Amino acid sequence: MEGSEIIGIGAEAKLYTFKMFDVETVVKERLPKKYRAAALDLKIRKTRTKTEARIMFRLSRAGVRCPRIVALGRFSVYMEKVDGTLLKDKRITDREIAESAKILSRMHSLNVIHGDFTPANLISDGSTVYVIDFGLSEITQSDEEKAIDLLLMKRSIKADLYRIFEKEYAKSYSESKRILNRLKEVERRGRYQVRTLI
Amino acid sequence: MIVIGMESSAHTFGVGVVEDGKVLSNEKAMYNIGSTGMIPGEVAKFHSENAADVFGRALESAGITSKEIEGVGYTMGPGLGPCLEVAQLSARTVAKRLGVRIVPVNHCAAHAEIARHYGKLADPIMLYVSGGNSQILALERKPYLHYSVVGETFDIGVGNMLDSFARRLRLRPAWGSSIEKHARGGKYIELPYTVKGMDFSFTGLATKATEMIGRAKISDLCFSIQETAFAALCEATERAMLLKNKKEIGICGGVAQNKKLKDMLREMGKEHGAVLGFAPDEFNADNGGMVAYLAERMLKEGIYCKITDCLIRQKYRVDAARLG
Repeated sequence: MEGSEIIGIGAEAKLYTFKMFDVETVVKERLPKKYRAAALDLKIRKTRTKTEARIMFRLSRAGVRCPRIVALGRFSVYMEKVDGTLLKDKRITDREIAESAKILSRMHSLNVIHGDFTPANLISDGSTVYVIDFGLSEITQSDEEKAIDLLLMKRSIKADLYRIFEKEYAKSYSESKRILNRLKEVERRGRYQVRTLI
Repeated sequence: MIVIGMESSAHTFGVGVVEDGKVLSNEKAMYNIGSTGMIPGEVAKFHSENAADVFGRALESAGITSKEIEGVGYTMGPGLGPCLEVAQLSARTVAKRLGVRIVPVNHCAAHAEIARHYGKLADPIMLYVSGGNSQILALERKPYLHYSVVGETFDIGVGNMLDSFARRLRLRPAWGSSIEKHARGGKYIELPYTVKGMDFSFTGLATKATEMIGRAKISDLCFSIQETAFAALCEATERAMLLKNKKEIGICGGVAQNKKLKDMLREMGKEHGAVLGFAPDEFNADNGGMVAYLAERMLKEGIYCKITDCLIRQKYRVDAARLG
């Protein structure tokens, strides 16, 4: 596309910038995966694009810091550009991890689960943390799914950072006690019980 | 250095002989599961009856005598308790009799390391898929050589899922191979696809596919259950590979014998310039050779155990195993 620049190729989508009516947007286009059957591929890409857009819209409206949607294509979401560094590419500060916990608690109170809540999907511009990539998000009241959001984060960061994360999450979400208990249950049930922290 | 390895975590009793990283022999006896699955006590009985014979065959085809053995490795876990005990006791007996060192080995790590060896992989993301296990492992070098678990199944292993389904269809189950055969010419039917980040789940898929037996063509069902399960594994592996910044993909475990899954992973890797590596099939099925291979390396690194500490651990996690 003219005037566009590829800024990243993720596990399932291509990200590129695109100027739309003088607004700098980021386009997330889900690419076909040749390794899976065409019908399954089509289904996964279509439903994920639609769900992602619906969820981002709901979150933006509720004031959760995530990119705002500008337009929608069949396999593409056009969104506002967020500048900053992925948390996975920097040394995460205590404040940034606490901010991330606040974001997740807000999402969970809106009954939105992220599905892949790790430092690879959080961007910090130095003062504010944004959450991105809602490709695996769902709207659900399930404690189990919320607990799994926590579990993914727990496994992606160092133990001392996670303690801060969990403390902040517990403080900012009224139902957190139930979710944290559920997390313990999920971990106990996890195969062979113990899962080491990195 | 000549080291032997003994394996009996599930239905296979295996003994392998390794000399300086080269596998000299890899002998096994396999319990016939038939249509019942595994009854641990029965399988353990089978192992004890065959242990001496397999041991003898392994030495013979390696062309060594027992006096040349310089170390003994055995599978400490994970696996079925009564089965694990057979290799453990055999290994302790041999080590005591010969006065050589004994090394407890993690079964999953042995699969992964033998795949890394034959696949010529330096720093891979490793998909470990078998009947009982389905995990995505990442090789870590700090603080010491080990594998971390990046993603895994929330419920059953993919091999178990495919084989149970094959049994429902009255096909002969074996690492999804019968499903693979019957999937030819099948068309895609929608079935539950569950990936959460880098973890995945297979029970929903198994239940739905089982419900549909009789209402859909067998070839369509086989094609779709395999396509859905393998696509989930590929997607999770792809994500794990990018998160861990790896440029190599490895696959090991019983289901690694499945050609379709390897083709899909290879295709996935191509997009990221990543290569796929794996061991010959005899090492993807349970075997003693891989245990011997890892045991020898660990011995050379000075990792071994007092004979009285050589127990079994049915729930021995791969991320708890130090390899170097």
